[in-house]
Amino acid sequence: MENILEIKELSKAYHGVPALIDIDLSVKAGEIHGIVGANGSGKSTLMNILFGNPIVRETGGYQGEILYRGRRIHPKSCGEAIRLGMGMAHQEFALLPDLTIAENIKLGRERTWKFTDRLFGPKYSFIDRKRNAAGAAQVLHQLGLDVDVGIKVINLATNTKQFVELAREIDRRDLQLLLLDEPTAVLSKRDGLKLIEVLMGMSQAGLGIIFISHRLEEVEHICDRVTVLRDGRVVSRYNKGEISISQLARDMIGHRVNKAIAPARDLNTRPVISFRQFSVDMPGEELKGLDLTVFEGEILGLTSLSGHGKLALGYGLMGLYPAAGEVIYKHQRIDQMDARANIRKGIYVLPDDRQGLGILPEHSLADNIIFTGNQVKNLFAKNMVRPFGFLDQKKADLHVGQLVDELEIKCASIKQKVRELSGGNQQKVCMARALTVDPKLLFVAEPTRGIDISAKEKILKLLIDLNRTKQTTIIIASSELDELKRVCDRIAVLVEGKLFKILAPDSPEVEFGLALAGEQGN
Amino acid sequence: MKLMMNNGCIKPPQIIILIFLAVLLGLAYFLKMDLAGLFNESLIKLVMNGVLVLSLIPMLNAGAGMNFGLPVGITGGLIGMCIAVNFRLAGWPGFFMSLLLSVAICGILGWIYGLILNRVKGREEIAGTFIGLSLIPLMNYFWTLAPFQNRQMLYPIGGQGLRPKITLEPYFYNILDNFSLVKLGPLEIPLGLLGFYGLICLGLYLFFRTKAGRAAMATGENEAFARLSGIDIAGARLLAIILSTVIAGIGICVYSQSYGFIQLYDAPLAMYFPAISAVLIGGSNGRRAFIFQAALGAYLLQTIYLLTVPIANEILVPEITEILRTLITYSIILYALLYRERQRGSGHEN
Repeated sequence: MENILEIKELSKAYHGVPALIDIDLSVKAGEIHGIVGANGSGKSTLMNILFGNPIVRETGGYQGEILYRGRRIHPKSCGEAIRLGMGMAHQEFALLPDLTIAENIKLGRERTWKFTDRLFGPKYSFIDRKRNAAGAAQVLHQLGLDVDVGIKVINLATNTKQFVELAREIDRRDLQLLLLDEPTAVLSKRDGLKLIEVLMGMSQAGLGIIFISHRLEEVEHICDRVTVLRDGRVVSRYNKGEISISQLARDMIGHRVNKAIAPARDLNTRPVISFRQFSVDMPGEELKGLDLTVFEGEILGLTSLSGHGKLALGYGLMGLYPAAGEVIYKHQRIDQMDARANIRKGIYVLPDDRQGLGILPEHSLADNIIFTGNQVKNLFAKNMVRPFGFLDQKKADLHVGQLVDELEIKCASIKQKVRELSGGNQQKVCMARALTVDPKLLFVAEPTRGIDISAKEKILKLLIDLNRTKQTTIIIASSELDELKRVCDRIAVLVEGKLFKILAPDSPEVEFGLALAGEQGN
Repeated sequence: MKLMMNNGCIKPPQIIILIFLAVLLGLAYFLKMDLAGLFNESLIKLVMNGVLVLSLIPMLNAGAGMNFGLPVGITGGLIGMCIAVNFRLAGWPGFFMSLLLSVAICGILGWIYGLILNRVKGREEIAGTFIGLSLIPLMNYFWTLAPFQNRQMLYPIGGQGLRPKITLEPYFYNILDNFSLVKLGPLEIPLGLLGFYGLICLGLYLFFRTKAGRAAMATGENEAFARLSGIDIAGARLLAIILSTVIAGIGICVYSQSYGFIQLYDAPLAMYFPAISAVLIGGSNGRRAFIFQAALGAYLLQTIYLLTVPIANEILVPEITEILRTLITYSIILYALLYRERQRGSGHEN
């Protein structure tokens, strides 16, 4: 088969720091080419170059050669890449929040009325909304998602957005090469599998796919070839059949990863927080009458298929979305879902949407870490009239320095902007902020989403340590069942916004599978 | 302060402005103009307009956008000065009373302004423009009907209604400009004036180091983050908007004492574009601004204004100066809006 894409000795540096060094890579028609690598290994940079992201040119371009169908190309803009027949689903979504699902999917390829086509020309023709909606719904259905395509994207849950993002690319007729950056990262396992089936079907039809993922099982499962990147270099390449997960992981990290495991133990059954008929109106992730009691000092896993409400619990408690129902925290009713009051009471929420909710990208690492503690608990404040008190910079820097060492946050200095850190390190910064606030009850949503294996284990280990040393009660909402099983004392499965079942972490896979699907096992 | 300067990197608009400034300076030199005199005047111009430019910073950083509603603060300052002049308070007492009254009145106006802007979150700039535009006719009634008594302020004929230009000559004209004026040969350094400006800069700098200031800053950068961290978003924005309005009030007092007149009626409308233009020339991206950028921008823009007048008079028709001023002012704002849209757009580009 012919090569759709051929990359020769591609190098790229940002401000003198090499991001890619002499990359050689080729993708054939009908091939799924996997690219794996830890965060900061250069995967995203590679995608940016291929897809003509302007940031590449603004930072001085690249060296090397890119051949597309045998022709040398210099993608200068995303539009150019699209015209060449490339498509890309971004890790951080590139959707227009104020347009509907159908409009997003069909953007630029709208079906129009024939009559007005002739009258005004295709560019100024009226859009046939009905046919567009039907087409969009069909593509989504192909992906296994049945949703009203008239909903605005801004109101969707993260996983649904991922499907819309993919649907937009898949819907294109002229697509020859599809770049997928962590398409399954925000999906639950089941949704991920569905997606993979679709991808395999598309590759059989002759489409070349570059598939970036942290989920090595998926890579093993679907890729025809896998290239492993580490620190901007190609370290190894495997063909289908030779791929083994442990080998990939070793190549990625360069050393073995110790998996974080929390030993089983007996729990006391003193409730720390109980929810009665708790509902949260978070679009796409509604909770509808949850009854759940969390015990003091436990790590409770919260899992569900995407869209079934596991993410909404913490946000509802912090007043980010309208909530109703009764919450008893330490024998007291919480009447107002108010972030400030609840943080003071010892509750804290680490969000799943790091870019949107988790960080102040333009602020320094230090500012990010101390922000909430300083604002709400008045930590590191000099004794002055509130709220105009100044920060005790020395004390704060000392504290931040300790946390940076403890959490192994990789940064140039504590004054570095958080925007410049990798995803895993940003998540560590979020963790550090939570540690600074020192909550008694910590909600964590998708703590390991989109970060590499070693950072993942580090974060899970931190959560276990926090729980064991400070007796912090932790509720982890995650779609990574394997991780929950290793870390949690109990795992609650939600279905359609309600508690379906609480399972022990050592319950067999099958039981989880059944529970997630809402089937009562025996 | 160093931290603030790190972010003031040079971008195309600054380069254009700097080249333009260099050309003007060269011309001024060849035309044998009084460069020392121009320099002296540039320092005065910096502070004269600079405080108004500074007043934009709190709102920008709290995420309330460029303050196109600057006339609100200016109006507050004008009322303050008019009251002081009405009671014939001259010299320092007059100036301080003006400042005091301006701060009080602007506090109230800013509070109301802030409440309105909090209801139009995301569209503050356009809302601010129209609040400013609708305040002016309202204030025109006030200036005509308010029972001011000082004859020097009223229309000479009829004795009813304030004059469009009230002279400050007998009150506090140039009181800051001439305070601790140091003469070094041909150079005159208005230390008092610069000190006053420095004081406001310092105050602003310290504000953003306080807890309230940090909260406002975080709100501007990532509102959802701030809310999840328990920040009172409306409160933080309100505080920043009040602060902006108060500094604008002080700004117009400083401006008027330099200029020598209190300008009423439609005059405030001519003030907010140059101020916004200045902060953009200084390198702000229109969503966040540092004190250094505000100061640099004010100095560059005002110095250009200052140089174009005599040069154009010398080699071109005099009217060209006004054209050039307007052109620079508006095109810089247009550039910033374009640039900002492009930045915002690139996030979604596909």
